[in-house]
Amino acid sequence: MAHRGHRALFPILFFAALPAFAQTTDDRVSQLEKRLDALTQEVAQIRQEIDRLKGTPAPAPAAAAEDLTKVEVAPPAAAQPAPASQPSSALTDVQTVNNVFNPAASKVFNPDTSVIGNFIGKAGPANPYEFGPNDERSPFKLDEAEIAFQAFVDPYAKANFFFSVSPEGIDVEEGYAQFVTLPWGLTAKAGKFKALFGKANTWHTHVRPWVDQPLVIHNFFGDEQFHGEGISVSKAIPVTAAFVEATGELYSSELPGVFERRKASDVAWNTHLKAFKDISENSNIELGMSWARGTIADGHNAFGGVDVTYRWKPLQQGLYRGVVGRFEGMVDKRDDFDRRLRGFYASLDYQLAQRWFTGVRLDSADETPSLAQVAPGTRDRGVSATLTFWPSEFSQIRGQLRRTKYGDVKTANELLLQLQFAIGAHGAHAF
Amino acid sequence: MKRILLSLAALTLIAAPAFAVPLKVVTTIQDLASLTKEVGGDRVDVSSIARGYQDPHFVEPKPSFLLLLRNADLLEVVGLELEIGWLPPLLDQSRNPNILPGTKGYLDVSHGVEILERPTVVNRSMGDVHPLGNPHFWLDPANAVRIAIQIEQKLAELRPADAPYFAQRLNAFKVKINEANKHWLAEMAPYRGAKVVTYHASWPNFAKHFGLDVVGYVEPKPGVPPSPSHTFELINLMKAQHVKAILMEPYFDAKTPQSIAERTGAKLVVLYPSVGGAKSGTDDYISLFNTNVANLVKALQ
Repeated sequence: MAHRGHRALFPILFFAALPAFAQTTDDRVSQLEKRLDALTQEVAQIRQEIDRLKGTPAPAPAAAAEDLTKVEVAPPAAAQPAPASQPSSALTDVQTVNNVFNPAASKVFNPDTSVIGNFIGKAGPANPYEFGPNDERSPFKLDEAEIAFQAFVDPYAKANFFFSVSPEGIDVEEGYAQFVTLPWGLTAKAGKFKALFGKANTWHTHVRPWVDQPLVIHNFFGDEQFHGEGISVSKAIPVTAAFVEATGELYSSELPGVFERRKASDVAWNTHLKAFKDISENSNIELGMSWARGTIADGHNAFGGVDVTYRWKPLQQGLYRGVVGRFEGMVDKRDDFDRRLRGFYASLDYQLAQRWFTGVRLDSADETPSLAQVAPGTRDRGVSATLTFWPSEFSQIRGQLRRTKYGDVKTANELLLQLQFAIGAHGAHAF
Repeated sequence: MKRILLSLAALTLIAAPAFAVPLKVVTTIQDLASLTKEVGGDRVDVSSIARGYQDPHFVEPKPSFLLLLRNADLLEVVGLELEIGWLPPLLDQSRNPNILPGTKGYLDVSHGVEILERPTVVNRSMGDVHPLGNPHFWLDPANAVRIAIQIEQKLAELRPADAPYFAQRLNAFKVKINEANKHWLAEMAPYRGAKVVTYHASWPNFAKHFGLDVVGYVEPKPGVPPSPSHTFELINLMKAQHVKAILMEPYFDAKTPQSIAERTGAKLVVLYPSVGGAKSGTDDYISLFNTNVANLVKALQ
């Protein structure tokens, strides 16, 4: 009875086990197929590598069409960059890669740091009219090293420090906090900075397309340009046809030869209105108006200015061609002088080739009482021609021939040579 | 009356998403704009700063771009310091705190793509090398998908209500580019392993995808114009290695590469590195590759 019972169980167990056995066989076959595919791919890759090492062209692969529909993003928390992905069978399988860019995490809070050297050479007689009776400018001089530090302070502001190291010592050329997340279309600066008066006044040495300053800047504001310690607020004015920006600035009324503080609360102010318009994809024009006023010993000193900049740069040939035309006119009304003083410069710069530029500049500027080289009110005139070569983005060599007539009789001809070279990360300046 | 008013209010609420203002997206290059249009459809309003036919390393940070950035909901950048020469001053003046790096409205697509040529040692004696890797990664269709995925995730984050729409469009794009890719690979299959020279190091991802072997560059170092001595060496190299084509972007001067081509028997091929690189045939990402593959196949035949 018991035996009969066992016999009945065998067929049941046999039939019950059949699907499981079949399942196991299918799985194994499937695994072997996958393994075979993988080995085939490996052999193909090794063959390609051998061909590459032999220098023989690799044969066309066996239709390795990726399925782009399988591309996906990698999980975001991977500690190391994912290895370069092998072409999958379909681009539909592609996954994104989690790239880690921070191998030196301890240094990420270091500010962008740069040094720009400005080496000057000159040839020609002494120029006592512009550089004083004891013009002792040497034939070669490391005129300045500009050291810059720039970084975000916090989510609200960036810090910009520019130190000018020269034979005369170290000076904070600019050092300010720039607030970039203000509401109502505002930006602001607080600290020490160059006044937004015209265009040339705002430039650092390495941005100028000339070795020297235009006469009107030199005569009206001095070699250090119109700068000071104060605050600046700019607002973009919503106009659809152009970019329009209004700026108001307030400074301590202290600038040697330009503003003088008679009492502790004396301030100088500056306003600037800028309009920028694209004429076409390749050309644009910028118009600016400036008005500044501060105190001097005998009253006030007020400046007015207009600036026009035209640029042409064909986008496709932008590496090789370009034209920039500039004009700045200024008026100075001082209470300690009997008439308005005037000055301007006009320049044209042309890009000859990828690394070659040339330009001309005309200057005219009255001499002001505090900075006069010949006599207050005397008009200086000049003409300059430049040729510039950029070995790379980070260095430039420039020659400038200039002829300047100081007053009505005294003329100086000079050849100025300049080598500028930069190291480190120097943030791009505003357009 | 009350019922009518309630019905109107309900209808207004239901219809509101349909009339939602499209997200304003600004991209640094046109390729990102093209991929954003693919994913975002009519729910995005996309503008690009750089044109496809200009060198994206050297864009002038014109104030007119501030008008675009001021009202943007999202800024998409290539990253890897491609835009370092011109984007930071624009962002500083954009008056738009919502698109600054690290905010929700800023997308650096380099974070999710395959990057090649990451230097382990770098200094400027090596030319204008990108220390974080080669930024021309968008010229690989697989990376285009990776970029599109990141865009879809960002758009969904900014507009959760439209997430299914973006997901559906992403899938449609994947299928579309996958089909196109099969054709491109099939057309390029006979030329896998072909040796080429490129003007600038813009094509490593493209070359890898299609199995091209880049053996040299017209520039002696990245960003440095060709010199006579380097040109001479390159000519010898190309002759020795039987290089059949020189690939050049449309914004470089053709004079030197043309001269090299004439002296080596290679063909000079203008390949477009970006959407919008040519007046026609590069209107979107897929047509860009259609044109480039066709031009390359013609040259390598």
